[in-house]
Amino acid sequence: MVRRLVVAVMALGLAGGLLASPAALADDEGASTERLTVAFNAFENNLTPFTLSMQALPNTPDLVHLVYDALFWSQASAEPRPMLAESAEPSEDFSSWTIELREGVTWHDGEPFTADDVAFTYRYFTDVHPMGRFAHHVYDIPPFSDAEVIDEHTVVLNFDAPAPTFLLLPGGDVPIVPEHIWEDIEDPGAETEMLPVGTGPFELVDIEPDQLYRFEANEDYFLGRPTVDELVLPIVEDPSSVFAALQTGELDSAVHPVPPELVDDFEDHDEIEIAQSTRMESVILYFNVRDEPQSDPAVRKALALAIDRDEIVDTVMQGHAVPGRDTFTHPESIWATDDPVQDVDPERADELLEEAGYELGDDGVRVSPDGDPVEIEVLVSSFAPQHIRAMQLAAEHAQEIGIELAVETLDPATIADRRSPNGPDDSPDVDAYIRAMEAHMHADPDAMIHFFGTPQPGRPGGGLTGYANPEFDELAEQAAVETDEEARLEMIHDLQAMFAQEVPAIILYHPDGLYAYRPAAYDGWVEDPGHGIFNKLSFLPGGQEAAEGLDEQTAEEAAEPIPEQDGIDAGEETAAGTPWLWIAGGVLLAVLLLVLLFLRGRAREEVYE
Amino acid sequence: VLPRVVRLFLQYALVLLAAITLNFLLPRMAPGDVVDYLLPPEDAGALTEEQRIEFLGRYGLDEPMHVQYREYVTGLARGDMLLSARYTRPVRDLVLERLPWTLLLVGTSTILAIVIGTAAGFRSAFRRGRATDVSTMSGFMLIDAMPPFFVALLLMLVFSVHLGIFPVYGAIPTVPAEGLELVLGVAQRLALPATALTLAMLGTMYLVARPALVSELREDYVLMAQAKGLPRRKVRRHAARNALLPVSTIALINLGNMVGGATVIETVFSYPGLGRLIYESVLSRDYPVLQGAFFILAVTVILANLVADLLYPLLDPRVRQPLTTRSVGA
Repeated sequence: MVRRLVVAVMALGLAGGLLASPAALADDEGASTERLTVAFNAFENNLTPFTLSMQALPNTPDLVHLVYDALFWSQASAEPRPMLAESAEPSEDFSSWTIELREGVTWHDGEPFTADDVAFTYRYFTDVHPMGRFAHHVYDIPPFSDAEVIDEHTVVLNFDAPAPTFLLLPGGDVPIVPEHIWEDIEDPGAETEMLPVGTGPFELVDIEPDQLYRFEANEDYFLGRPTVDELVLPIVEDPSSVFAALQTGELDSAVHPVPPELVDDFEDHDEIEIAQSTRMESVILYFNVRDEPQSDPAVRKALALAIDRDEIVDTVMQGHAVPGRDTFTHPESIWATDDPVQDVDPERADELLEEAGYELGDDGVRVSPDGDPVEIEVLVSSFAPQHIRAMQLAAEHAQEIGIELAVETLDPATIADRRSPNGPDDSPDVDAYIRAMEAHMHADPDAMIHFFGTPQPGRPGGGLTGYANPEFDELAEQAAVETDEEARLEMIHDLQAMFAQEVPAIILYHPDGLYAYRPAAYDGWVEDPGHGIFNKLSFLPGGQEAAEGLDEQTAEEAAEPIPEQDGIDAGEETAAGTPWLWIAGGVLLAVLLLVLLFLRGRAREEVYE
Repeated sequence: VLPRVVRLFLQYALVLLAAITLNFLLPRMAPGDVVDYLLPPEDAGALTEEQRIEFLGRYGLDEPMHVQYREYVTGLARGDMLLSARYTRPVRDLVLERLPWTLLLVGTSTILAIVIGTAAGFRSAFRRGRATDVSTMSGFMLIDAMPPFFVALLLMLVFSVHLGIFPVYGAIPTVPAEGLELVLGVAQRLALPATALTLAMLGTMYLVARPALVSELREDYVLMAQAKGLPRRKVRRHAARNALLPVSTIALINLGNMVGGATVIETVFSYPGLGRLIYESVLSRDYPVLQGAFFILAVTVILANLVADLLYPLLDPRVRQPLTTRSVGA
C-alpha cells in the first residue's frame, strides 16, 4: 500500500520535474460569455443595501449595483446617465426634484417598479435604516424631508436644503429597493438569509457563504439583455492565489488591482490583458492637527514641499499611479483644479521652518521653539506593503529638512482604535496615519466639509484630522447649497486652495487601477472612471461600444517599460513564476524524491545491533 | 476517594471552564473595538456616546462585563450565540458553515500525516544509523522546517499554475454540480490544501515515531524475544506496538493545533475553514465570532486530550489500573 502510494507520488514528482510548459486548467470552466468567473475580494452577505458587511470595500457598491439600480449612474461622472430615472428637474432653489421614471421596468420577481418604490426607499433609508454606506446621502447631505408620488411614474423628492448635486449623490449612488419586499420589515439589518430582489442586470441565484456568488442575467433588463448569461464570483482574498488562478484560466478576471510589480509579468502573458480604469482612490497621509508638532501649519506645509510624490510613484508604484496634489482632488475628478503638479522644494521647506523658529539640532532633527524635537509618528497598516514603502521613502525626504517621520506598522484594527477620537473635543493617540480613500471623496464636493470641517456633533468626518477653520467651514457650507454651477465650482476651487495652504493631509498618490482579464473569455470590459472594470456598464449591451478601443490603448499605456529601481523589490510573495521560486520548487521535489526513494527502500535490512 | 474516571472528568471540566473564561477575556483585552473597525474613523469619531452604545447594543457589547459574561455562558449552555459584528449573522451559523470544511481538511491531513509519518519513522528506526535513515531524517526535518505558506504556494505553483492538475482556490466547484461530480470536484479542490497541511504535520509525526521505536528496540524484552528465536517480523511488531503509545498521544494533542495551523493554508487556497474565520475575526475584533470559534477549538483540544487520557490505558496494559481504586500516577 505504502509502496504503491510512494510510486504514485514519485511519478507525480517526476512529471513536475519534466514538464516545462504551463498548462491551462479547466478549459471548460468559464471560457465564454455564457459563464464568466471573476474573483471577488470578500463576502458581503446577501447583497441587500442593509445587510452588507463592507468587508469588500471599495468594490462593495459595484457589486450591489449588479442587482439593484439607482436613479442615475454614476456618482463619479460629470453627467450621470439615467437609469431608473428618465429625467429629473430641480425646483428653482434646487431643494425639490421632480423625477420622471422609466416605464415598463420590473423587479426580478416580476412585480412592476413604480414611483412608490422610490418614495419608499428614500423614506426607509431615513426612518428605518439610517445606517451604512448609502443612507447618509439621504438623511444627512442633502437632508431628505419627504417624497410625493404624483403618478405611477413621477415622484417628487423634497429636501430641507438645496440639493444641487442630487443627480450624483444620492441620485447616482443610492440603490432603489422594492416596497413590496421591505415594507413590513422593521430590522432590515437582520435579513441576511433572503435572496435580494432588485431591478438590476443580474439576479443573484446562489450564495455559498464565504465561497461564491452566482448570478443569472436578467432577461428583461430595461437597458437590454446583459452580455453575460451567468456570472460567478468566487471569493478569493489572497492576491497571490488570484493571480495564479488568472494564469491557469480558472478566473477570467478579478476585482483585485494588479500590484505594480506584477504588471510586466501579465503584459508578457499571451492570454492575459491589463485594462486601466481608475477608481480615483487616494492614498493619504492624515495629520492629527490637534497635537504638536504637526499642529503647526508650517511643519505640515514644509513636509508637503519636501515629500517627493513623483519619486514615490516611480519607485513604489513603478509608475502606475498619479502623484497626489496639494489641492486634494484626483486630477480626473469633475471638481479638480488645473493646478500643475506640486513642486518639490526642500530649500523653501527649510526656510519655512527657520522662519517659524525650528532650529536644526545636533542630531539633524529640528527643535521647536519650545525645545521639543520635531518627530512625527506615522501609523501604517501592516497589510499595505505599498503604503509602508511609500512612507519609508517619505521619511527619507522629511529627514532632509530635519523632520523625523517614524513609520510604525500596526494591524488595521489597532490603527483604527488609535486614530478614532472619543467625541468632538478628544485628541486621539496618534500623530499621523496613512489611509486609502475611495472615489467617493472626489465625486462629492460636500466631502470637503464632511472630512475637513470643524469637528462637531452631528457632523461626521471632522474627526479625521481635527482640522478646524471657521473660514473653511463657511465656504464649504456655502458651496454645498450653491445652485449656480460655475459659482459652486469656484468656491470648491477656493476650498482646495485653502486646503493646499493649510495641509491637514498630504495626498501621496492615486493608484492607476490596473485590472487583469482574459480577453478570450470576455472582452466587453468598460473603463469607467471612479470604478474599476468590474462595474455594471461592463455587462450592458451598450457598454460594449463604450469599451471599444479600451484594450489596445490601455494595454499599451500599461506596458510602458518601467525603470529599474534599486532598493525596492517585489516584497510580496506572488505566484507569478519568479525564478527563485522555481528553483526552490525543484529542490523541494528533488528532496521529496530522495526521501521517497529511500523510504521505498532496498531489500530489507537488519535492525538489531 | 473518587473513581479515576470521575476525577478525570472533573479535571477536564475545570480546564474547560478556564478556557471559556479566557476565551471571553482575551479578545476584550486587545486594543480597538468593533465600532472603530466597522465604521470609518470619520464616522466612528463623530458618534455620540448614545449612538455608540446603540451600535454596540446590536451585538450585546454594551452591557457591563459581568452581564456580558453571564449572557455568554448561558448562551453557550443554550447552544445559541450572538450575532457576528461583521456579518450580522448568528455566530452559530458562521461556525457551522465552516466546521465541516475544517473537519474534512484537517481530518484528511491528520490521518495522512499520522500514517505516512509513523510509517516512515518506524522504517527509519529499524534502519537506524544507516544511510537510508540519515537521509530520510534530513528530508523530514527539511520539510518540517519549511513554513506552511511557502509549501502551499509551491504546491500551487507546481500543480496548479504549471501542471494545471488542481484548482487554485475554493472548496466547491464554481460550476453547479451534483452527486459524483460534486464529490470529485470537492476532492480535487481538497488535494492541494490537504497535501500542504499533511506536509506541515508530517515532520512532527516522523520525529516522534522514530525515537519512540528506537528506544523500544533497546529494551530488554526485544533482546529476550530475539534470544528466544522469535521471527524478526514478530519482534518488530511487539516493539512497534509499544512505540505507538507516544505517537498516539502526540497525534491527538496536535489535532487542536492543526485547526488553528490550517489558517495559513486555508487563506492561500481560499478554503472556507474555521482557521480563516478566526484570523479574519481577530483582525476585525469580531468578538462574538472569536468566542464562538475559540469555544469550538477549546472543546476540540480538550476532548482530544481527554480521549488521549482515556485511550492510554487501553493501549498500554502497564498503566491499566482497576478503574475504581488507585490513581494512575502511583
